[in-house]
Amino acid sequence: MPEYKAPLRDMHFVMDEVLDFAASYEAYGLEDASPDLVNAILEEGGKFAGEVLAPLNRTGDEEGCHIDDGVVTTPKGFKEAYQQYVDNGWGSMTGSTEYGGQGLPFSLGLVISEMVASANYAFSMYPGLSHGCSAAISAHGTQEQKDQYLSKLTPGTWTGTMCLTEPHCGTDLGLIKTRAVPESDGSYKITGTKIFISCGEHDMAENIVHLVLAKLPDAPAGTKGISLFIVPKFLLDANGEKGERNTLKCGSIEHKMGIKASATCVMNFDDATGYLIGEANKGLNCMFTMMNHARLGTGMQGLCHGEASYQSALVYAKDRLQMRSLTGAKEPEKAADPIIVHPDVRRMLLTMKAFNEGNRALTYYTAQLLDQAHYSKDEGERANADALLAFLTPICKAFMTETGMEVTSLGMQVFGGHGYIREWGQEQQMRDCRIAPIYEGTNGIQALDLLGRKVLGSQGKLLSAFTKQVHKFCQANEGNSQFAGELAKLNQLNTQWGEITQSIAGRAMQNREEVGACSMDFLMFSGYVIHAFMWLKMAIVAQQQLAAGTSEEDFYKAKVATQSFYFKRLLPRAQAHVEALNSGADSLMDMTAEQF
Amino acid sequence: MADYKAPLRDIRFVLNEVFEADALWQSLPGLDGAIDAETADAMLEEAGKITSQTIAPLNRSGDEEGAQWNAGEVTTPSGFKAAFKTYAEGGWVGLGGNPEYGGLGMPKTLGVQVEEMVYGANNSFALYPALTAGCCLALDAHGSEELKQAYLPNMYAGIWSGTMCLTEPHCGTDLGIIRTKAVPEADGSYLVTGTKIFITGGEHDLTENIIHLVLAKLPDAPAGPKGISLFLVPKFLVNEDGSMGERNPVNCGSIEHKMGIKGSATCVMNFDSARGYLVGEVNKGLNAMFTMMNYERLSIGIQGIGCSEASYQSAVDYARERIQSRAPTGAVQPEKAADPIIVHPDVRRMLLTMKAMTEGSRAFSTYVGMQLDISKYADEPESKKKGEDLVALLTPVAKAFFTDVGLENCVHGQQVFGGHGYIREWGQEQLVRDVRIAQIYEGTNGIQALDLMGRKTVANGGAFFKVFAEEVRNFVTENSADAMAEFVQPLAKAIANLEELTAGVIERSKSNPNEVGAASVEYLHVFGYTAYAYMWAKMAKVALSKAEADEIGFYSAKLGTAKFFFQRLLPRIHSLSESVNAGSESLYELDAVQF
Repeated sequence: MPEYKAPLRDMHFVMDEVLDFAASYEAYGLEDASPDLVNAILEEGGKFAGEVLAPLNRTGDEEGCHIDDGVVTTPKGFKEAYQQYVDNGWGSMTGSTEYGGQGLPFSLGLVISEMVASANYAFSMYPGLSHGCSAAISAHGTQEQKDQYLSKLTPGTWTGTMCLTEPHCGTDLGLIKTRAVPESDGSYKITGTKIFISCGEHDMAENIVHLVLAKLPDAPAGTKGISLFIVPKFLLDANGEKGERNTLKCGSIEHKMGIKASATCVMNFDDATGYLIGEANKGLNCMFTMMNHARLGTGMQGLCHGEASYQSALVYAKDRLQMRSLTGAKEPEKAADPIIVHPDVRRMLLTMKAFNEGNRALTYYTAQLLDQAHYSKDEGERANADALLAFLTPICKAFMTETGMEVTSLGMQVFGGHGYIREWGQEQQMRDCRIAPIYEGTNGIQALDLLGRKVLGSQGKLLSAFTKQVHKFCQANEGNSQFAGELAKLNQLNTQWGEITQSIAGRAMQNREEVGACSMDFLMFSGYVIHAFMWLKMAIVAQQQLAAGTSEEDFYKAKVATQSFYFKRLLPRAQAHVEALNSGADSLMDMTAEQF
Repeated sequence: MADYKAPLRDIRFVLNEVFEADALWQSLPGLDGAIDAETADAMLEEAGKITSQTIAPLNRSGDEEGAQWNAGEVTTPSGFKAAFKTYAEGGWVGLGGNPEYGGLGMPKTLGVQVEEMVYGANNSFALYPALTAGCCLALDAHGSEELKQAYLPNMYAGIWSGTMCLTEPHCGTDLGIIRTKAVPEADGSYLVTGTKIFITGGEHDLTENIIHLVLAKLPDAPAGPKGISLFLVPKFLVNEDGSMGERNPVNCGSIEHKMGIKGSATCVMNFDSARGYLVGEVNKGLNAMFTMMNYERLSIGIQGIGCSEASYQSAVDYARERIQSRAPTGAVQPEKAADPIIVHPDVRRMLLTMKAMTEGSRAFSTYVGMQLDISKYADEPESKKKGEDLVALLTPVAKAFFTDVGLENCVHGQQVFGGHGYIREWGQEQLVRDVRIAQIYEGTNGIQALDLMGRKTVANGGAFFKVFAEEVRNFVTENSADAMAEFVQPLAKAIANLEELTAGVIERSKSNPNEVGAASVEYLHVFGYTAYAYMWAKMAKVALSKAEADEIGFYSAKLGTAKFFFQRLLPRIHSLSESVNAGSESLYELDAVQF
């Protein structure tokens, strides 16, 4: 039975030693999130994740959700666990104090989310979807809407959903058919079918608040004609409490590859009562407000599964005896050596470790920017953070989930045949992770957003905002002889980044297909360079700690060694992506559809 | 999802046009005219029918239902039993079997095509005859005449099935530490006791008898791999007259709950003083296994190809139908609400990656099958030796590369479907789950890589590699002109790169044995891409020569796919090589406690 232990030491390393969250909390007036409080929260969060949520992960997968005439039951134990989650205040951490939240920083909430999600991803989706719903209402709701809904959503008493996708459109939301017809009292009647609605129906909370994209009768065609509506499962009575049942129903739940304990619903809205949120025809704009947060959260899913997978793989590799080390038996008194002696097993473990820890650093780095964008008192600082976020979040979403897939597959492979057996837990991590490259905008869409809209669309400004950060870092560390080679490598890649962008821009002017032809390789290249940046940040901190004298030599030496592995064995992949994208669009576009 | 259709056009292209299989078959004395082009073609046609009409329709239902265990009895999913009977009656189980005992004696070059179709149609189903065929191979090579007469005919006919019982709870890779025991009886038989796990097809309802080949140790056996013997242990003992006798005390204790191949019963087999018969010599059990290992490796590798093809067929179908967003250069089907997603460059990238790697795999599988046929049926010593060397070198590449590539392909094939790719009814996610096991069993891909790098390359100073490199170089020299230049130039560079890479590992491993394992997996991938560059150059050559006769653009599609392979996929060898050349140092900077 797999166990999960929140990786507190590594979390603190990144938060405290590499990124100094405490300093930014102070700078943004978030002193309430003192180091003592943060330590206590992380400690408690780790316990909750490991002791309450992780034990439900395998059982939740085997049991899955069930539906009976529109009523969905979650697996055994989930309802109780959610109640405990709510009672202990986990859901309300980052919500406004006005509505019963604790007003703690986004970044801290994200660290807790990492633990919750790593322990039991399907469970984490229920509060996760609620956050998205809350964020939209908070940003765009009227005072009345905020008072009515945030008071229940913030503590987690009610949960929320995002209803965008329809059977014929996921990526291309301009094609949605769900209609909203205005009523004389200012409300609307919503009719249509949404699919793939995570947590659309369940038994864990007394009300569910759906945010639904729909079109008004006279709306312009395409994406400019989409409006956003609040459509609660139960309408509110005069006291703002749960009242009449609204005319919406879960028609069915999907049979999925993974995240089986998350109810993925077909939601049928049948003249259901809804309330416009934000301006008419500005529905997508409302959605975009939370897009950075949503993308980072989804990208983090790659880290969550990767971490859980690694923990189990490491335990197994130290215990499982098979064959002898080729340099002589390491534990001759045993029947065979533990498989961690073998170079190829180490290669797999180190790949997992390098990607996981790099992804953690990148996640928290980006989370700190989210704090800056939201909480900084300085408009310029907020704008700078927004620019970096616009650039980073599609990379976070796609790169961390692609690498998450590789990590979870390796985590199975370390187990040999047992990796394929459900009871050991490794194959579930891979199945659960597999949705992450798909939803919240497929990785291909993220890549198009990065290269097309963000980088080329800003004439490279959004890229140079980031490459400047990297350049400053390389300059600041110029004299560092231990990492001179790696710093030079990072500098060279940082320069190459600009060069390939220019080259693509030139080609794209002649042929718009060049963008899509290069996008995914461009994104992966970007991810590898950013990881190199993160690894050097971490290794230099580790180097400083070792030089200063530390009782935790193993921890810091491991950081330096993992950085070395990353640069030598993983970073070379960046060049394959450059070669692929430099070959241009012709080889993709020359064939006719019939020739495939 | 698209119904699986055997890719006969491409199979015929590879078999007949690229490798000219018929000419090969006629040149091999050992085949003795067992097959000609017409027979082969008819068989391919029939295999296509049975796989798409009988076997493929059971794929989704088999996955949802799974095999079921109840008090030692195992039922396969609905329809499997009838389908297996039909399959067996067609002679397919014994396709490659020894004609002396009722097999059809078909060459491997044909066999690999049929295997691909069965895996493409239904992985779980495919494993029942596949394990039986493997079991027969070992028996045919090492069994006594008595055993062969008693068992092979019914197994080739699919009346009895077979299994391979090697793995135990504490050992899969390291068979030297098995604990199953065999105690000799006065009558020359043995009593076998122990527990085996992960036994594919160990128990089921398809056939009246199941013949287990079991690795076990005799009481006085030497320690380690040199103390392993091989035994035939039937579920029901067989009387002298060939009728079924007593039930042997071999029982299925449970079946596994797996990620995929759910219709395949993966069994814990308990042997409790079960009667068995020695196969081959005492303490030479592993040697007996190794004989068929090359065939088994190729076969399991082909699971990767079958899955890739099935995933690709559905993905292309979906990409042509699903309309979403507009082409970057302007609406291609303005009368529709949006354009079919096949217009998008990134979707094409995924589809072409699948196409290039699946077709490359099919060509390589046929090429390796050819080497198996040459080494078995040729009598001219030099050709035979070359065939054997290439078999030794290439089968680990085939097993590991087909399946690693297979996973990447199936993940792309799932991704093309967007959210629907995650939904079981559409079938794409099942292919990912089903193909994933192929990287693990029959020797993990890490073990295949160690075999390639260590035993087959470093240990003989690259002798086998030289044989392969020479063949590739000759091809380059003979085909450098004009239109072929764009393919042979990168091929020449790739083989030179691989040569340098090989020399580097050989040199480094002289002072540090860990250099072998540090390089192995990525070395194997460089080898795979390089081998596929050779295959694509061969295919491009044929396509160029047929430019005039290009019905429906089949040959220009081949050229287009070849270009994609060389421009977009082959460059991966440079990054992989850089990683290999970094050596083992960065793997050992951490102590175990620091991970």
